[in-house]
Parts: sequence; C-alpha cells; structure tokens
Amino acid sequence: MFLFKRERLCEKVQGMLSEYMDNRLGNGDRALVKSHLDACEACSRELASLRMTVQLLHRVPQVEVPRSFTIAVPEPRREGVLGASSLRWLRPATAVATVVLVVLLAVDFLNIAGNAPDGGDLLNELPSRNFSTLVTDSAGNETGMLTEVSPAPGPRPFDTTKALIAGNQTIGNETAGNETVGNETAGNETGMFAPTALPPAEGTIEQEAGGFPLRQIEIAMGAVLFALVALMVFVLRQRRSPVRVK
Amino acid sequence: MPMDEQELISRSRAGDVQAFNLLVEQYQRLVFNVALRMMGNVEAAEDASQDAFLSAYKAMGNFRGGSFKAWILRITTNSCRDKMRVARRARVISLDTMLLEPESDPEASDIESPEDYALRRELGKFIDEGLTHLPEDQRLAIILCDIQGFSYEEVAQVMDSSLGTVKSRLNRGRTRLRDFLLGRKELLPPRFRLDK
Repeated sequence: MFLFKRERLCEKVQGMLSEYMDNRLGNGDRALVKSHLDACEACSRELASLRMTVQLLHRVPQVEVPRSFTIAVPEPRREGVLGASSLRWLRPATAVATVVLVVLLAVDFLNIAGNAPDGGDLLNELPSRNFSTLVTDSAGNETGMLTEVSPAPGPRPFDTTKALIAGNQTIGNETAGNETVGNETAGNETGMFAPTALPPAEGTIEQEAGGFPLRQIEIAMGAVLFALVALMVFVLRQRRSPVRVK
Repeated sequence: MPMDEQELISRSRAGDVQAFNLLVEQYQRLVFNVALRMMGNVEAAEDASQDAFLSAYKAMGNFRGGSFKAWILRITTNSCRDKMRVARRARVISLDTMLLEPESDPEASDIESPEDYALRRELGKFIDEGLTHLPEDQRLAIILCDIQGFSYEEVAQVMDSSLGTVKSRLNRGRTRLRDFLLGRKELLPPRFRLDK
C-alpha cells in the first residue's frame, strides 16, 4: 500500500519535473516536488538526466543563414501586348473566337446532316465524278452503260459548280447515274473501280466548286482560338507571381 | 535612425517591400534555424524559410497586431509542415553535412576552445538526430523553448495552443529525447553522458 502510494507520488512528481526545472511551478507544487526529491533517489536521477538533456539542447549551435531571404522590390510592370491589361481584349476575343468556331462547326454539321439522308447535292455528286473517271478508265467494257447516262460520249471533267447551279433536274440525272454505277460495280465484282471510287474530301469539292471553304476556315479559327487561350494562360500565370525572390 | 518594429510593420502592410525586408533581415536567422531543426534538411529549411517570408509578405494585410515574431514563426511552422509532407517521400540530407561546413558562430569562436567547439557540434548532431525521432508538436516545443529560448507563453502563441498543452508537450518531448540520448550514451562525449 505504501509502495503503491509512493509510486503514484513519483509519477506525479516526474510529470512536474520539466516545469520545476524551468521555475514554472507554484509555491505549493514546488515545495512538494522539492521535498519528494530530497527523499527519492530515482526521481532525483530523473531530474538530473532531464537537466542534462536541456543543457545539451541549450548548447546546440545556431546556424548562419546560407543566403538572404529578402524579397526583391517588384520592377515596374511594362505594359506591353502581353501585360496584365491585355486580358481586357484577350477575354472577349477568345469568347468571340469560340462562338464563331461553334457556329462554323454547327453550320458544317447541319450541312452534312441535312444532305446525307435524301441523297442531296454534295454527297450524291461525289460518285458522279467517279462516274466520269470510270468512263476514262474503263472505256471498253463499260461504255454501253455509261453512254446512257453520260451526256457526252468521251471523258467529261466533273464540274460541281455547274451541277449546283443546274438544280434538281441535273442532280436527279446524276443520281440516276450513280445508281447505275452502283449496279455496274456490283455486277462485275471486279473491284476495278475501287481506287477511283474513293470520295475526295469535302473541302476539296467546295474549293473546286468555288464555294465557301468552310473546313479551312474551321481549322484557321481553331488555331486562332488555341493561340488566344495559350496567351490567356501565359498572362494569367504572369499575374500570379508578382513577387520575385532575390 | 533605425525604424522600430511597429513602424516597419505598418509600412509593410502598406506594401513597402523595403520595410518588409528590414523585418526579414531581423528574423531570418531565427526563422531559418527553427525551420532547420524542424526539417533536418538544409535545402528544405531554405525553401520553407523563403516560402514563409513570401507568404508573410502577401498576408501582411491580415496581420492584426500582436507579436510579429510569433506570427512569422507560426507561418514558418505551417510552411515546414507542408514541406515535410513532401519531404517524407524524398531523400533526407543529413544535418551532418551542414554541421561540418565552416560556420561563423561568433559566440563559439570567442569563448570556446576549438576542442569544445568541435564537441558542441558533435553534440548538435546527436540532438538533431534525437529531435527527428520526436512527434512534430513536441519537437517544435523543444526547438522553441530549449534551443531558441522562448518563454512558455511565446511557445503557446507560436503553436496556437494553451499553456497546459505546451507544458505537457515539453515534458513529454524532453523525456523522449532524454531516453533517445540514454540509448546512445556510449556515443556521447564522456562529460555529457547521461545516467538514469
């Protein structure tokens, strides 16, 4: 019982040794610790070892700073094309470019979607070019079928402008020719038309037609938009680090 | 005539970088040493110190008076904690490298003999190693109180804790560090060997 009480007292005193060393105890606690230390050798040794540890800590050398941590005075900003104020024109310009690109893409998409199901102008004209090529390439065997459709007996260069201007009637003929070619190909099973039957890119068709070069404008607009976004990112990053370290 | 700290603080709050730099010069040694003992890595301590001063400069508008020393050290310890999270995954450079480099310590060179100075540096190595074994809060309490000589109240301000918490951290930290040193007492110079 006595031992148990003594152990508890030692535990209590040891919890206060740190404050005792630093003179942070009140008079009552200080007297209690002091009287216990006089009687308890283990706690005295505990205090001595803690005291030595703190003395060692006091002797740890201070290290000189390896460099100055002062901050450089920010240089007056040069407001060039890419200054912080350039955001005033960059933001609306980017917004306008985005809207224009979206509109262009929408128009392009609607044009393709609108033409696709009913065998409209552009798509149906593509094989008609092949048709004329077919005349050139396989003048011998295919002549019979082709002469029925083609207005001229010889090779005829494709003229989309004419086709577009001519309207529905011409397009109807072309479509008819188209079907014929389809049948012909299916009948022969030779695959001889395959190389020439690849449809050219739509932009090329439009160019050839002398129409609106939509795809090229889309690409150009995309490039412009990319450049504007890159400029905005650059300007914003410059704004984020206004303070320079010496 | 040198400006007093309050004037430097109010000018810094108004955006005067030169005034802020005078504060930096006043506190950079303390900030760097606290960061160094916290991190145990010279380069990381440099980064943490620089980040702390930059953050302090940006946040000068939020400084609401009181002890600037406590405020800058609170920013420093936060910066150290952020860096330590990253550093745990990186290779830690031993303090030995730093301690072996020539160091201008006027206190040491004027009073101590070269032998004593070398001994003190050797001790510094053991202490630094021991500090790295302590939990962050106990380590910071010991660095501030026993190495930098702060009062309990100042430590409480820096750590944003109550006095009771500071006392408890100090007591536990010292006991743990003592146990660490006792475990390696044969490596300590004879006059510094601890006995329990």
